[in-house]
Amino acid sequence: MMTIDPVTLAIFLPLFGAVAAFVAPRAAALIGLGTLALTAAAVGLLARDVIATGAVIVPLGGWGAPLGIELRADGLSVAMLVLSVAVGFLVSLSALDALKGPANARQRQYFWPLWLLLLTGMNGVYLSSDIFNLYVMIEIIALAAVGLTVLTGTRAAVRAGLDYMYASILGALLFLMGVGFIYLQLGRLDFAGLMDAEPTGALFAAVALMLVGLALKTALFPLHFWLPAAHANATAPASALLSGLVVKAALYIVLRLSQYMPFPSESLLTLIGVMGAGAVIWGGIQALRAERLKLLVAWSTVTQIGLIFVAFARAGEAGLTESWKAAALLILAHGVAKAAMFLAVGRIKDEVGHDTIRDLDRAPVRPTLAQFTFALAAISLIGLPPSLGFIGKWSLMEGAMAAGYWHWIAVTMIGTLMSVAYFSRVFAGFLRFDRVRGTVAEHQGWAVADAAPLALAAMAIALGLMAAPILNFIEIGYPFGEAK
Amino acid sequence: MNDPLVIFDLLLGGAIIALAIASLTVRDLFAAVVLFIIFGLLSALAWVRLSAPDVALAEAAIGTGVTGALLLKTLHHLRFVTGTLGHQSALSVTPHTPVPSGVIWANAAFCGLITLGLAVAFLGAPQAGPGFDALVSEAMPASGVEHPVTAILLNFRAYDTLMEVVVLLAAVIAVWQIERGLSDAPAPVMGEVWQGFARLVLPAIVVVGTYLLWAGAEAPGGAFQGGAVLAAVGLLLLLTRAYVPRPGHRGIARCAFVLGTVVFAAVALLVASGGRVAFEYPADHAKALILLIEGLVTISIAATLAALFHGREPVALRNKEDRNDT
Repeated sequence: MMTIDPVTLAIFLPLFGAVAAFVAPRAAALIGLGTLALTAAAVGLLARDVIATGAVIVPLGGWGAPLGIELRADGLSVAMLVLSVAVGFLVSLSALDALKGPANARQRQYFWPLWLLLLTGMNGVYLSSDIFNLYVMIEIIALAAVGLTVLTGTRAAVRAGLDYMYASILGALLFLMGVGFIYLQLGRLDFAGLMDAEPTGALFAAVALMLVGLALKTALFPLHFWLPAAHANATAPASALLSGLVVKAALYIVLRLSQYMPFPSESLLTLIGVMGAGAVIWGGIQALRAERLKLLVAWSTVTQIGLIFVAFARAGEAGLTESWKAAALLILAHGVAKAAMFLAVGRIKDEVGHDTIRDLDRAPVRPTLAQFTFALAAISLIGLPPSLGFIGKWSLMEGAMAAGYWHWIAVTMIGTLMSVAYFSRVFAGFLRFDRVRGTVAEHQGWAVADAAPLALAAMAIALGLMAAPILNFIEIGYPFGEAK
Repeated sequence: MNDPLVIFDLLLGGAIIALAIASLTVRDLFAAVVLFIIFGLLSALAWVRLSAPDVALAEAAIGTGVTGALLLKTLHHLRFVTGTLGHQSALSVTPHTPVPSGVIWANAAFCGLITLGLAVAFLGAPQAGPGFDALVSEAMPASGVEHPVTAILLNFRAYDTLMEVVVLLAAVIAVWQIERGLSDAPAPVMGEVWQGFARLVLPAIVVVGTYLLWAGAEAPGGAFQGGAVLAAVGLLLLLTRAYVPRPGHRGIARCAFVLGTVVFAAVALLVASGGRVAFEYPADHAKALILLIEGLVTISIAATLAALFHGREPVALRNKEDRNDT
């Protein structure tokens, strides 16, 4: 009788699902939802194990690190798995509606295998404890994500997808070169080997190469050039997955590397913080200038990623043991809220017929529920209490205050004000009725399809109330050395 | 330094760098592709000189052979789209809108920083790093195969290899889902001489590809190299029009693409029983299982690479082409 642990299942279930959905395109949606439910069950089992016994390690092939590859699940990785599966499930539900109809037959057929491969890659990243394996996983993510970007087949989407692919492949290559040099020096690829490493200049350079590659993949300013067009031109469920989940994989790797391989210098960390601050301000300016709603939301992703890096650098090298938690909270908060927001924008665009911000107040149809979802998600992204975004920002500023790094607080405040400003542009469009001739059908445009985004947005708010248990959970199995 | 081959190595290294520069600077795209192919062949030679025959085979088969074919096919399509199909050197690298100088400087700065990082990492690296060598030779007897590279790829780190096969699967799904309409360049048809050539070399390629796969257990070679060589069969069949993809073939093609992934993953999970974890092959069946996996993965790789060369999901042909075929 086969006995397969939930760690392995969390990666292999989506893989088999992707294959099945590709081979049987007619049943793709059914297979996709079934696979997500099964994967969610596996992640649930894994979460139970991790809570009960701490970090779980599976030595694939029985060889054990460093020769073989070990999968490792601890609090942080399970939190990321839960994020990808839970957000993924709700996005999938809304994809059922967004991709319906004969015109979308092709998109429907290919959405599921690509999305399940994406899930395979992301779960693989969150469970990996080997840097070469991380490289292979980010390649799977990259190809599947590019596929999802160009799903609509419009010229703009294909153009954006091509830019995305170049950026992504370049990022992966830089990461791979860093991995190669680390192997050359240490002779091993597992995280445990990195921990004992002697910090040298060459090792620093190798880690820097990996970080640049990851910055390119996660779109950290000024390497963000590919993101706005890619996320704004994809179909709504794909945008939600790309913005909510995909960029988090590279962010997670940065977080992991910082846990197992402390950054060799304060200046590198400051540089990361400065790039983050640049993203917050530049992204904010672009979001204020954006003409289309989807583009505004995509630029808001750039600012939020910048904010996560600011959280990372908030207390310098000494505070890194705590800073990663603030960054992790912001990652979770953004994942949930941004997925909700992109889905809501997709719904608004479907009902109103366009997503030009200036003309939103002229629309005779007001999809109230989708607009409400957008507002809830914006509350979390702006960081108003009691949302998870608020907790993340609060923990960022608390740490920065404690360490006396007031400039990071200033950056956070500026970013928050700018996000209020650019989201207000949208709210004004939602709430003004005086520019419409004739009667406004205020309560038109409700549909069952609003349920999934609304649930996500509600989660973004409600999770803020559960911040303490979440913080306790992501600490399970940290630091690495104490795991069984 | 007494080794006379040092001169050869220096020449080789110089030639590789010169070819890289040439293929980047030459303005004619066709010349750039050809220079790139030669660059790949010489790189393969360099890998041989570095005592990495497995990498050399992969570089020659995939990095040069399949990639070169893909680039030439893309060029053909570009020429068709721009209406310059007949002119050999018509399409040169002249962007429609000039790149702003700010972008150029930013790119230069970025590349400079990367080069600096590479230089520091390279200069600070130890001459002979520790590596896996000791661990691998210790675990070899339990691996089921005799060639250390195959042992690493299909046993010690089989999970990575499975995921690399999945990367290829993701690539072909991503390519198939792009709706290109019907405006495709007519496939470059080979003349009668080529038909005869194909008839002669096809059996030889099949033998070489299968040999590479089989030899992988004891000597350099394996699924990726064998698959790439077998993909050449597919390329020739497509080019000679001996095989024309049709919508009805989609189902079987999908099955061929996923075959390797499914069997690899299924074997990995099925061996997990009685205290063993996934990928832990029972010692006495290890060789058979590895051969089974490699064989089927080879078929998938060959089919996938050939499909990538075709570059699209098979669509219904226009009537005119249909008549030509029948």
